[in-house]
Amino acid sequence: MARRDNEIDEEKKSRSVLFLLSAIALLVTGIWAVWNDNISRRPWKLFQYEFRNLEYERAQGALAAEQARLEADPQYQDLQKQLVAARQSLTEGETARQIADRQAQLAALEKRLAVVDLDLRFVKSELEEAWYQLDHAREFNQPEEPRRARIDKLEAHRVETKKAYDDLTHQKEQLENEVKELQAGVKTLEDKVVEVAAERTKLEQKVEGMVVLHLGPIKMLQVPRIEQTVIEEYDRNAYKQPVARVDRCVSCHTGIDKPGFEDQPNPFRTHPDREHLLAMHPPDKFGCTPCHDGQGASVNSVAQAHGDVPFWEFPLLRGEKVQARCNKCHMDVADISHTDHIAAGQKLFENLGCTGCHLVEGLEDLPKVGPYLRRIGAKVDPSWLTRWVTNPHQFRPSTKMPNFLFTPEQGTAVAAYLLKASAKESEEWLAQYPEPTGVDPKSAALVARGREITEQIGCKGCHAFAPGEHGPRLGAGTDEVVNVATTSAGDGAAPYDGVVPAAAHEGAQPPEGTQLRSSKDIAPNLASVAEKTNRRWIFHWLKNPRHFSPVSRMPSLRLADEEAAAVTSYLLTLGAPKPEPAERLAALGRPETIADGEKLVRKYGCAGCHDIPGMENESRIGVELSTFGGKTVEELFFGDRYDIPRTWDDWTLNKIRTPRTYATERIEQVMPQFDLPDDDIKELKVFLTSRSEHVVPVKYRYKPNDAVQKQIVDGERLITKYNCTGCHQIEGKGGFIRAFYQDNLTLAPPAFFGEGAKVQPDWLFGFLKSPVSIRPWLKLRMPTFNLSDEDAKTLVDYFTARARNEAPFVYVDTGAIAPETIAAAKQLMSPDYFNCFSCHVQGDKNPEGPPEGWAPNLAMAKHRLNPDWIVQWIHDPQKLSPGTKMPSFYPGGPDDIFGGDEEKQIRAIRDYLMVLGTPAADRVGTQVAQGAGGAKAQTAH
Amino acid sequence: MHRVMLGAVALLAASVLAAQVSAYEGVDVANGGSVSGEVKYQGDPPAPAKIAVTKDNEVCGKEKESPDLIVGADKGIANVVVRISNIQKGKKLAPAATPPVFDQKGCEYSPHVLAFPAGSTVQILNSDGILHNVHTTSTANPSFNQAQPKFKKTIEAKIEKPEMPIKVQCDAHGWMHAWWVSEDHPYYAVTDAKGAFKIADVPPGDYELEFWHETLGKQTQKVSVKAKEDAKVNVQMTKK
Repeated sequence: MARRDNEIDEEKKSRSVLFLLSAIALLVTGIWAVWNDNISRRPWKLFQYEFRNLEYERAQGALAAEQARLEADPQYQDLQKQLVAARQSLTEGETARQIADRQAQLAALEKRLAVVDLDLRFVKSELEEAWYQLDHAREFNQPEEPRRARIDKLEAHRVETKKAYDDLTHQKEQLENEVKELQAGVKTLEDKVVEVAAERTKLEQKVEGMVVLHLGPIKMLQVPRIEQTVIEEYDRNAYKQPVARVDRCVSCHTGIDKPGFEDQPNPFRTHPDREHLLAMHPPDKFGCTPCHDGQGASVNSVAQAHGDVPFWEFPLLRGEKVQARCNKCHMDVADISHTDHIAAGQKLFENLGCTGCHLVEGLEDLPKVGPYLRRIGAKVDPSWLTRWVTNPHQFRPSTKMPNFLFTPEQGTAVAAYLLKASAKESEEWLAQYPEPTGVDPKSAALVARGREITEQIGCKGCHAFAPGEHGPRLGAGTDEVVNVATTSAGDGAAPYDGVVPAAAHEGAQPPEGTQLRSSKDIAPNLASVAEKTNRRWIFHWLKNPRHFSPVSRMPSLRLADEEAAAVTSYLLTLGAPKPEPAERLAALGRPETIADGEKLVRKYGCAGCHDIPGMENESRIGVELSTFGGKTVEELFFGDRYDIPRTWDDWTLNKIRTPRTYATERIEQVMPQFDLPDDDIKELKVFLTSRSEHVVPVKYRYKPNDAVQKQIVDGERLITKYNCTGCHQIEGKGGFIRAFYQDNLTLAPPAFFGEGAKVQPDWLFGFLKSPVSIRPWLKLRMPTFNLSDEDAKTLVDYFTARARNEAPFVYVDTGAIAPETIAAAKQLMSPDYFNCFSCHVQGDKNPEGPPEGWAPNLAMAKHRLNPDWIVQWIHDPQKLSPGTKMPSFYPGGPDDIFGGDEEKQIRAIRDYLMVLGTPAADRVGTQVAQGAGGAKAQTAH
Repeated sequence: MHRVMLGAVALLAASVLAAQVSAYEGVDVANGGSVSGEVKYQGDPPAPAKIAVTKDNEVCGKEKESPDLIVGADKGIANVVVRISNIQKGKKLAPAATPPVFDQKGCEYSPHVLAFPAGSTVQILNSDGILHNVHTTSTANPSFNQAQPKFKKTIEAKIEKPEMPIKVQCDAHGWMHAWWVSEDHPYYAVTDAKGAFKIADVPPGDYELEFWHETLGKQTQKVSVKAKEDAKVNVQMTKK
């Protein structure tokens, strides 16, 4: 019973409130679900929506502006007025009357024409019939005559009617033309208006094209959609199978490839330098992440898309780091645009000696960057050496040598080992190179002469001579003086607590409690060189550095003994020896000190940068950096530095600033301190970022395995090593020493533009191996670098590659040059004409006047210059070398030679230069030069 | 570096601004006054420097006096460029009736300082009949280096833009140099052998008079010009 009652009760209960609530909940959930699915989880939709609106507004704005421009344009206004007037004249006035008159005539004419036309058609039909009847009569042997008579009659009628028809048609056409002519003014004006307003029409179409749907006053623009690029086979999966990479970046960055949004904030902004960068790298082929990194396929949130989430290995590359992927496809980052940071980073990395300790793929075999220490005992003062090893930056803040933060005792131990290890070879050297004579730092005249030589022959292209002065540098960073917060450890591992303005620093020595962070000089500053070394070494080093160090970068300046003695005397006035206390010097000889030193030299990897006796087989002591750019925060050890933000950038910045900062009680670190300014560290970070595992498939790379790129890379490396750009400007870069010749740049070393197209490769090779004076007016000397054949060839290839001279082979058949050509050239070059030898040296015949007025020996041209280049040069010397002393003779050649044919005159001079100084009998098929390839032969006619 | 860039930008902006400010307007001047005076050497002038000639002696001679600084009797300095540097409005800049002539005679340039209205075509003569070259170092105008061999009696050079000074030199004869001054207004003069100059038809007003000499540098002097009167300005220049 109770059960039944219960059921009745249940039926009587109302669930409407519950239903209502559930229905509301369902509705709310439904709305939320739609909202969440379409809006909250799709932030790109809002970005795209906003961009489309922006784009629409811009287009409308442009249209309105064009409209306003047209309205203000008197030409347009005038046209409009003329058009209105012209249209009006068609409906009233004389023209209107004339048109009406013609049209009335036309109507009458057309009526007549219709009648004639009908008549003509009938006659034609009747003719057809008559001809049939004639045929029929012939077949059935009936008389032909009556039928032929009918045909003739009808034909006569047809001709007559046709003539009437033609006349009427002609009259009609004439009338129609007259009407057209009367109306023509309007048509021409209408065309003109269309032409003047073409831009507006274009904009109108653009604005209209953006609207996909009109709903009364509501206009709907393009509905947001995922925009993606599939980059086929760009990545490899865990099984090394090629897989596509998908970039959806344009879903938010909708305007990236559209001009006109350069002023907008991201994500609406146009790509910087879009016209160049995106034209070279079309986004539909390359996508975005190959250059920028980030998580291309993700669109759920900005952080995810940019890869700023845990465990994503390649977060968006920001700032200068955006260049860290250029080298994945371009081998020659030093030679292309927009790659200054990565190129600078690589230059720093290679030349600071980082590869001495760290293995990096592709940079395994670079030469050691530090001096040759096998004869160090003969070179340096032992007191200086202990101080130098203890802290090289104290003596010379701009040195590449890093500070190993040794205690004075450790420094002494290292010095003791180096002196001991080099003792034998040092003594052998000393036995061969005696004390020089004629050196006297007390002789003011000699010192002045020495100083003059250093200023004249080009020493300043590499070296600075005063404290705080810089020669050409490896990095571009400015010097910074920073406070070093002293810690209890006092081991230099402390963080810098702030940067002190560089003005606080005047000389080479940083003030107490601070550290000078300096961009490194390519060659040492010689400000206190006499504290470091001695007269005997300086003299012989100046005479020929290779006698002391077979691997030195320092060239020979071909100094005569008295010149070397003068320069030595001058250098000995820069600084003075500072002996250390006797007990420290005594420690240098102690076996236990030497043994300690050997351990330190091994532990700190000195042999990574220096050639040290007994250390020939040491391996690199640092970690490999080939894939360092791909390291995640989890893989980086922060030690006790809890204050440093957990990012790759912060870790790396602090590591390079203060390399031992992550050392802890249990974990020792040995990397030395370079004291680089932050600007240089920034460049190094770009280079390190570029070291990642990903290999770009060949089809995406820029000219893979291209010989020219490799020649440029190898050449650039040598040019940095030997600091060619300290003196020469090469393709617009470098030329440090030119700063000293601003008053008269003709006295500065030659700048090279297209040198590879100018000179013959054979000659250049020989010249680099053993330079001779080409420009007698220069006091500067091209040094002898004692280049190996390989190095000289690398440089020749470099210049050829830079000049894009693909066929450097040159052949001139000098025997085939006509005598009259030579006679004409001789006449052209004679005093009555161009008087070339007024300035140019000719064999052993010098021009009049002082040598600074002379010009290169023209007898050298046949071996030195490319014949094609000579032609271009004579045409316009200023174009090839702006500011050159060589004047333009053309246009303006004489009329009485070759009838004034200038091209012929120039070629004659070129031909004559090819034989100048060669006896006539020897002028046969001279192969002037042979470069690589030798594919193209060319004769000088 | 950034600072250098900023400086360069500022300089550029300043020069653009200056160029705009100095845009000169040509009008009719009815009641113009004039400025005249003399430029004299202060103190004892140094003896003229000698140049040993070691080339083409038959034409150039054996020795020359340097044209760097020519002080005449009464200490008047020749070849000083005198110009109103801040004039905005004045008589129209008419192209010279005969084009400015620049001769190479006895391996010297004549005149040593040549001033002309911008847009002039300079007639360059070679009276020597040996190879000379005319090498200009310009910033506003394109530099050129034109050979003038014996058979080329005359060459022409059009200087479009105002610029001062343009150095002209001969690379074949190291001592030969001269200066060209190209002006966008007609209020300039070059002092004669006595150091005297005169600038006529100046609209009344206050001006800045600029004196430039190749070795003595630049100096300025304020001058007030009254209608139909001659304002006398005498200055002294000396080696710094």
